[in-house]
Amino acid sequence: MTVRIRFFARFRELLGTDIVVDAPKNKGLSDLVKDVAGKNQEGYDAIFDEKGAFREYVILMQNGKRVETSDAPAIRVAEGDEIAVFPPVAGG
Amino acid sequence: MSTVKIPCVSSRAGTLVFPIIPVKQMLSRRERERYKRQMMLFGDEGQERLKKANIFIAGAGGLGSPVSIYLAVAGVGTLTVVDKDVVEQTNLNRQILHCDRDIGRKKVVSAEEKLHAINPDITVKVIDTTIDESNCAQLVGRADGIVDAMDNYPTRYLLNDIALEKKIPLFHGAIRGFYGQATTIIPGKTACLRCIFPSAPPKEVFPVIGVTPGFIGMIQVNEVLRYLLGTGELLANRLLIWDGMTAHAEEIAVVRNPACISCGTGHISKDTTAVKAKKITTGKKK
Repeated sequence: MTVRIRFFARFRELLGTDIVVDAPKNKGLSDLVKDVAGKNQEGYDAIFDEKGAFREYVILMQNGKRVETSDAPAIRVAEGDEIAVFPPVAGG
Repeated sequence: MSTVKIPCVSSRAGTLVFPIIPVKQMLSRRERERYKRQMMLFGDEGQERLKKANIFIAGAGGLGSPVSIYLAVAGVGTLTVVDKDVVEQTNLNRQILHCDRDIGRKKVVSAEEKLHAINPDITVKVIDTTIDESNCAQLVGRADGIVDAMDNYPTRYLLNDIALEKKIPLFHGAIRGFYGQATTIIPGKTACLRCIFPSAPPKEVFPVIGVTPGFIGMIQVNEVLRYLLGTGELLANRLLIWDGMTAHAEEIAVVRNPACISCGTGHISKDTTAVKAKKITTGKKK
């Protein structure tokens, strides 16, 4: 099944813009993002901590709805899902 | 205060009469000329609304510069600008209120001078201080809205809490590099800043090109003006995300978090918040 992952801001610089993934059925949301982010160590480290958990400031959305990153390992992605991953920017 | 005669039809006699109705003549001839082209959009009433408004601008840096300049030229009657920093050379690629000769001067002094020169018909109040938990409520005072032109989340959270407490809108903006974000927080109606961003990103010396705070600052000003004018559709429960690398703006729907520690059931007492906030500083705008 096809799932689209969209990174924003700093994550986009490290990992690319829109990434279309051919994911197996019942793939976990957390694992999906890890697979894609794993292609660039710096990008992976920006999103995940050393234990493989989402960093606390990461914003994760599934089809426009906010997902708590702590729930992400248990959430399954579905055909046509759009996942957005972004960090809040802080400058002013 | 002066009075004008407004013709109307008396319901009793059915005849045209001229009751004396007090109408505050707020706009001078000079102001009418200055704002002529925008009053074509929203008339006397709209311009008077702007003139009566008091907007609190937290920060006179990358965002605070374009925000204050455009609020000034639009004729927002009172601007309160707060910043503690001194102008540095590294500020000048984006902080357009300040110029080379201002290096070493207080940002608020430079801001007051420029804003007064740009529009002498408005009142500019500047406060040279660091916004912290002990003074934030007093600094904001009876403002009609807060513009978030800060460079750090601890102070943003503080402004968010004060906006909620005073029930005034918070116009959020933030930038990094070519990227930016903006949203408008209406207490009691929309997600607050903590609903959207419960955790702050790590502190850093962020890269930035001047056009990015320029762009996001204009979004914020556009929000403030339309809020004051009561027109259009605000960025309420919508987070606008700007990608300057692809010249692409998009928005993400955001919702209130019922358990939010600022506006939801997770709200904690002021005393506890104070302990949590500790002494929050605006930090340097590098």
